[in-house]
Amino acid sequence: MSNVLRPYLAAVRSTLTAALTLENFSSQVVERHNKPEVEAAGSKEVLLNPLTISRNENERVLIEPSVNSIRLSIKIKQADEIERILCHKFTRFMMQRAENFIVLRRKPVPGYDISFLITNTHSETMLKHKIVDFIIQFMEDVDREISEMKLSLNARARIVAESYLTAFNS
Amino acid sequence: MILLEPHNVIIQTTLADKILKPSSVDVQFVDYDGVRFHLSTTPERKTLLLLSMHIRCWDELVQYGALDVLRREYGSLLQPQSEPDYNVSLAIDLEQLPASNEDRESFIMSVALFKRNALAAPFEHAFTSQKGLDSAGAGTGDLMQIHYRDEEAIYIQASHDRVTVIFSTVFRDETDRIYGKVFLQEFVDARRQPSIQTAPQVLYSNRDPPLEIRHLPNLRNTDDTGYVTFVLFPRHFTNPATASATISHIQLFRDYLHYHIKCSKAYMHSRMRHRVAEFQKVLNRAKTEVATTEKKTASGRTLVSR
Amino acid sequence: MSVLAPIICDNGTGYSKVGFAGNSDPSFVFPTAIATKGSASSSSNAPAIPSKPGHLASKRGVEDLDFFIGDEALANAKTPGYGVHYPIRHGMIDNWDHMERYWEQTIFKYLRAEPEDHYFLLTEPPLNAPENREQTAEIFFESFNIKGLYIAVQAVLALAASWSSNRVTDRTLTGTVIDSGDGVTHVIPCAEGYVIGSAIKHIPIAGRDISQFVLNLMRERGEMATVPPEDQLRVASKVKENYSYVCQDIVKEFRKYDADPYKHFERYEGEHSVTGRKYAVDVGYERFLAPEIFFNPEIYSSDFLTPLPEIVDEVIKQSPIDVRRGLYKNIVLSGGSTMFQHFGQRLKRDLKQLVDRRLDASVLASGSVQKSSGVEVDVISHKRQRYAVWYGGSLLASLPEFYTSCHTKAQYDEIGPSICRRYQIFGSAT
Repeated sequence: MSNVLRPYLAAVRSTLTAALTLENFSSQVVERHNKPEVEAAGSKEVLLNPLTISRNENERVLIEPSVNSIRLSIKIKQADEIERILCHKFTRFMMQRAENFIVLRRKPVPGYDISFLITNTHSETMLKHKIVDFIIQFMEDVDREISEMKLSLNARARIVAESYLTAFNS
Repeated sequence: MILLEPHNVIIQTTLADKILKPSSVDVQFVDYDGVRFHLSTTPERKTLLLLSMHIRCWDELVQYGALDVLRREYGSLLQPQSEPDYNVSLAIDLEQLPASNEDRESFIMSVALFKRNALAAPFEHAFTSQKGLDSAGAGTGDLMQIHYRDEEAIYIQASHDRVTVIFSTVFRDETDRIYGKVFLQEFVDARRQPSIQTAPQVLYSNRDPPLEIRHLPNLRNTDDTGYVTFVLFPRHFTNPATASATISHIQLFRDYLHYHIKCSKAYMHSRMRHRVAEFQKVLNRAKTEVATTEKKTASGRTLVSR
Repeated sequence: MSVLAPIICDNGTGYSKVGFAGNSDPSFVFPTAIATKGSASSSSNAPAIPSKPGHLASKRGVEDLDFFIGDEALANAKTPGYGVHYPIRHGMIDNWDHMERYWEQTIFKYLRAEPEDHYFLLTEPPLNAPENREQTAEIFFESFNIKGLYIAVQAVLALAASWSSNRVTDRTLTGTVIDSGDGVTHVIPCAEGYVIGSAIKHIPIAGRDISQFVLNLMRERGEMATVPPEDQLRVASKVKENYSYVCQDIVKEFRKYDADPYKHFERYEGEHSVTGRKYAVDVGYERFLAPEIFFNPEIYSSDFLTPLPEIVDEVIKQSPIDVRRGLYKNIVLSGGSTMFQHFGQRLKRDLKQLVDRRLDASVLASGSVQKSSGVEVDVISHKRQRYAVWYGGSLLASLPEFYTSCHTKAQYDEIGPSICRRYQIFGSAT
């Protein structure tokens, strides 16, 4: 992990841990409903101040807390066209399987690549620090995975080109 | 499988089958670049097979001597009149095949190379005209255009010391376009390696057509078009055996490129599957073990919670 | 532009049938097997290629292109370093990585088609999870950029295939499909193109069991003594394929054989695959006993005892009452293990007896007051039975409506894989 990445992830970790104080909260608008306030946005007073943690102009995390749910959106580094398409493919692939990732949102918040929604049910049935671990691990690995995918694409292209051109010699 | 094979597997296997056991057949199938085949037996005779081919750029190919090439390869098999809807037909009489096994194999293979041979004509034409120009010392041959797909074409031009083959490529899909760019760039770079210095020189330009074809009307100049130029030197085609290998090989360039783009996407998919499974494991660690006690009614039946 | 023929891919547990629409037979039939570099099938759940992302070795290389499919896979099974995997289990895709590469080679090496130019018709087993469809669509649209995709249920295609029989006049998609392949036999009721999932029944008797049964019979009689052990199962399955038929009455058949054995006994001649030594075996009672295990399973197995006609009757009785007549009227056979001579007639006779007996009983129970008009029972067998599913696909895909019923690439890009959750039924005349 590079030295720049470490404080960034540390900041996300502590903010997220602090924000994960969720309680069971019934809807004030509809009787007998209980929905994630950050998504429903029905009553303003239960929404807390959203917060952005930026590493640079291309990488940032948006944390939107509320009384019973928290939404975390990540903008993943995309240096060029290839990384952009790979990142898009990867996040789409993952969101396609969102039902397995209980905390994953099927669509990212506009301006971000992937979003998670953690509700009080999640924080009650799952270990809170492990959820945070998962998010941090995801942020760490996704960058690495995308750059590796890019490298392997280039390597493949090289091999493919070489084997095509070598065949002319025979 | 890294390289694609030049022959058609369906022709090969069907023909081998029918030689062993003649029976009536009527199948239609395809090959790369929208080539359609129809293999059928005549109702009267089970041993007489008719293989017809439809190829999009047939008129252009005829102009560049495809019929001569096919006549040379297949001789009397070539039918003067092709089947309706198809451009060219071969009649194969299973009772008049070469006797030895090896000859049969090579005969089957030559039929399976039907499409390759038809498409070889312009290349052969260019190679001979290069020889002519070489003795003259200068000048360029005529520019041959083969519109082998709806939006893509091959341009071939001979000059006194080389034959230039230009492929125009179009990627319909955004992802393909980006992957394709990476691949094509590598084609250009790969040649710098010392081990493949003898390969044809490759140039790639996005959007702007190369000089040789810039004067042509109706070229598409959009972002998704690219032009790949192969410069073939005499060493690639002076020897007839190398020449034919070169032709088989360069014909499949587009299919090769697209095949590998697709393989890369498949590879990315399997990487992503693996990575997503890893993430899943990490998340599963967060789940607490819920002790599940089986609830039973008084009569001993289990309750299932939904 | 002339439209190129759609590609029909019927990937079964044992064999894959692939080819182009409009033909009467698939262009290729080969095992659904893939031989990849790396460990053998023991580690089939762990994908071999991206085993260690993060290591330099996987960044450089195209190891994932080093594999064989179909017959070549089995031929390479013994090559050191290769392991054979079967990506489909019980009709469902088990390993997507392998399946994706399997399709890749099917298209590029065997069919030699540019997938961007073609529509595809794929098949799925009944009760396939919609997620599997989505994953399939993801592969076909994203990896291969195909023009359009249609995923059809195998049973429905088998019904469509029966339209080729001259006994079928109305092109209906209501009927009961008996699909018997190598591993398992399904009885699947379909109403107007939709599978009645709750009524499906499986029978654990299929091609493999019949071969085994023939082998047992021949061993007991001592015929197999001259046959080398490694060839015995193959000989048994050849005997099954070439000499077996369904008789109408076992006892009579036995008597017939005993009265004049020379007329009915056949002789099978084979050759040892390695040494070339010739051998011959007599083929006797197994000729009619082999398919008999469908009708009297007790002669072969001790744990499954319900005869096929009873199962079919059960299935139809469990289906909604308003389609039952249609289901009895149109019982369609599909798959290699239904190819026995007179199989259809026997099934029809036995089923008819069951139904009539029940009707008579209810007439009696009502005190002969209410009389039923009778139920029409018909079993359709036709020439294309062996690859019925594929053939049905080929028929449907050559209809002009096929193109409008497909999901296109544009729709996929617009909406995403979830479009594949629904498919439109088409082609039936009703």
